[in-house]
Amino acid sequence: MKVGLFIPCYINQLYPQVGIATLELLEKLGVDVYYPQGQTCCGQPLGNSGYEDDSKGACQVFVENFKAYDYIVGPSGSCIYHVKHHFDILEQTPEVKRVRNNAYELCEFIVKILGKTDIGASFPYKVGLHKSCHGLRGLKLGSCSEVMGEHFSTEEDLLNEVKGLQLMPLNRKDECCGFGGTFSVFEEAISVKMGKDRIKDHLDSDVQVITGADHSCLMHLEGLINRNKQPLKVMHIAEILNSSL
Amino acid sequence: MNHAEKAEVFNKDEAKVNWHDKALWYVREKRDTSAHKVQGWEYLRELGSSIKANVLSNLDEYLIQFETNAKKNGVHVHWASNAEEHNNIINSILEKHQAKKVVKSKSMLTEECHLNPFLEKKGIEVIDTDLGERIVQLAEEPPSHIVLPAIHKTKEEVDVLFQEHLNTKPSQGNPEYLVSEARKHLRDKFLKADVAITGVNFAIANTGGFVVCTNEGNADMGVHLSKVHIACMGIEKIIPQEKHLGVFLRLLARSATGQPITTYSSHFNKPDDGKEMHIVIVDNGRTEQLSREDFRASLHCIRCGACMNTCPIYRRSGGHSYDYAIPGPIGSILSPGKDMKKHSSLPFASTLCGSCSNVCPVKINIHEQLYKWRQVIVKEQKQPVVKKSILKVAGVVLSKPSLYGLAGKSARFALKHFPRFMIYNKLNAWGKARDLPEVKNENFDEWYKKRNKNG
Amino acid sequence: MNGIKKEIKMGREAILQSIKKNKPDLLPLPQINEKAFDEDINLLEVFKNNIALVGGSIKEIETKAIDAEIKTLYPNATQIANTSAKTSLGSIKISKNTDPHSLEHIDLAIVEGELGVSENGAIWVTAYNSIVRALPFITNDLVIILEKDKICLHMLQAYSLIDKRERDFGVFISGPSKTADIEQCLVVGAHGAMSLTVLLV
Repeated sequence: MKVGLFIPCYINQLYPQVGIATLELLEKLGVDVYYPQGQTCCGQPLGNSGYEDDSKGACQVFVENFKAYDYIVGPSGSCIYHVKHHFDILEQTPEVKRVRNNAYELCEFIVKILGKTDIGASFPYKVGLHKSCHGLRGLKLGSCSEVMGEHFSTEEDLLNEVKGLQLMPLNRKDECCGFGGTFSVFEEAISVKMGKDRIKDHLDSDVQVITGADHSCLMHLEGLINRNKQPLKVMHIAEILNSSL
Repeated sequence: MNHAEKAEVFNKDEAKVNWHDKALWYVREKRDTSAHKVQGWEYLRELGSSIKANVLSNLDEYLIQFETNAKKNGVHVHWASNAEEHNNIINSILEKHQAKKVVKSKSMLTEECHLNPFLEKKGIEVIDTDLGERIVQLAEEPPSHIVLPAIHKTKEEVDVLFQEHLNTKPSQGNPEYLVSEARKHLRDKFLKADVAITGVNFAIANTGGFVVCTNEGNADMGVHLSKVHIACMGIEKIIPQEKHLGVFLRLLARSATGQPITTYSSHFNKPDDGKEMHIVIVDNGRTEQLSREDFRASLHCIRCGACMNTCPIYRRSGGHSYDYAIPGPIGSILSPGKDMKKHSSLPFASTLCGSCSNVCPVKINIHEQLYKWRQVIVKEQKQPVVKKSILKVAGVVLSKPSLYGLAGKSARFALKHFPRFMIYNKLNAWGKARDLPEVKNENFDEWYKKRNKNG
Repeated sequence: MNGIKKEIKMGREAILQSIKKNKPDLLPLPQINEKAFDEDINLLEVFKNNIALVGGSIKEIETKAIDAEIKTLYPNATQIANTSAKTSLGSIKISKNTDPHSLEHIDLAIVEGELGVSENGAIWVTAYNSIVRALPFITNDLVIILEKDKICLHMLQAYSLIDKRERDFGVFISGPSKTADIEQCLVVGAHGAMSLTVLLV
């Protein structure tokens, strides 16, 4: 099984530690993982802003980079969702279809493809899980509060096995944080308010560390937490799963 | 003002935003509880969606069938291509009966057609009889929600409004007292009305009948006490058979307010002896929406308002920020089809979180349509130069790994080394309330190369 | 008037032609698999709970005890309009020709329901039951008498049970009139009946 590691643009530039944790975690799990050079971006910021046509070049680069791998794994549900659902703007060659079908968000890959939930991590803190909308509602990584049916959650399955980790129940367990890509700047007031409300929910629930499978949401929340000097730490789920504290 | 600007104004009063958000989240939670009690809820939504899809694919036949059956029942059927025709038809019926006093139950269609100001100009008294609608009518405001028209008003505000218009005593916003005063006030209007106008929730092709749902009983009070009943419906309100009400009435109220059904689901087939019943079937842009493959499913909408209650943006920006008769997510996919220039900011007033599509009782893919409208709007509407050039350049940079490497490096260099006042300037909307990420010494690419060299 | 008529006609043809041009290829009307909604529940108990949930009250009694029960429940009602043969109460005569405006001050209306729906506490009342369509709405308080073997599981069943009726006017009534339009505070008694009592016989 050859796995191509997809490191989204903003993680590459701003959160290398998340990329590092993802790579180390996959290697720890015995995965034959490669990092193709020349990655840029999945094109989502353009598509979500209405400039989908201008993103075709970026999408093509993505397909070129990953066409040779059995699986494409990335630590960002939102980007993976974009590849799976919005690469319909490219001509659907066998390569494009293969890349779209085999793209996985990190947690989903570990649980569904590797069939593992306990990966021997330990992290003795009270953790609040932020379920990113594209992961939850887009990739269906878990059940949503508004959909009737059995409860399930890929990230919770993993976090529940982490030694010492206490997953704190939230008041609104899957409300959007307000990041939304360019929404965060073009609808600044609402975006900030939504983020503040999410953070308050975590604080009210006695959370010490907010985590999630999508660092773009976490970047937004962290920006608010740092500005307002709130007693919360923000970590990508890969960093927690890669911990042995 | 566009949506973002209106939303910013609404957010100046954070306590009110919290109050508004909480009130609507409470309705969303009631909806969840209620839906959980229904065996086969998701299948029920599936049925609702596929019945509506069938309706749209056979709409002309169903409308003709409906018209034939309604006429057999002694109902007058009218057709209006647009708002102007709709308003003229209603006026001609009122003129025929020399009607001066009209009571109206909730109809988003008459709101969309601006019927009230049209009739008022002709000297006709039009009283909205749904309590929420009466409140906003007295306040001379449009409704801010399709099911809860006055959800943006506090009880204290209603108290003041009633003191001014209904001569009530100050009650510090006592809801029981205010409702009882409204009951007295509107009962008098019902008793004196010449004509009652109602909306239509569902029109049934195979019987020619139609159903109107209310909790207050205001539609029935109006209709049964006046000589003439005029019911206004958009063409998409048709359902094929009466038994399909068994699907839609199970979905509607639960999705709207969490009630298992509205208090009154009134089935009108024939006018009462000595009375007249009229139906006005209205297009007003709907057939155009039908032509748009990507957006036609928006015509499935049964106007429950669930997408508004669940929408984290709607809850924090208020219905008036959308500046359209139907606000919220559904309004944001309906309005660009009516006036793209005016409503071009609405499809962007979303994080595309997808909760709206999940609660929709007829499974409209609302968030996907929002994404698609964005693509259309960028092509057809003039875009701000700065936004456009940034995104166009980004498109080029992201298609060339070497350019991207350079851009990433210089951006990180700037973030790390430029003084704070240069980064957090007023052009930086991100930095108004949020810090930028702390920049590390190297990016992942550089780390990876170094590791491979060392390893 | 001629001008208006012509315009109306044009509206009709224009709309129908536009639909024909713009509609998608025919999609099938789905078959409804009612089995998906089957539940093994006590219809009567769930119905009773739902009547309470929607703000009504409900009592199971013998037919012969109806009069006494209503007198106990509504001791101050003097203006009573009754259209049911199951009770002899009633101080106001109701006929097809009664002007609904004359019912403005009715204290209590007593009508029979034809069918109850367990899932939502709704009761089917037709113009045949109420004689005057306005009666169940304009009255201050409402009593509906319902036979307890006439309760079905859900709305789909309800529609098949009322399918063979004379269609003029009918209404599903679920509880007393209510509103939550002032700050989401539920207030019972908006424009229709202020209270609803269901007597199961």
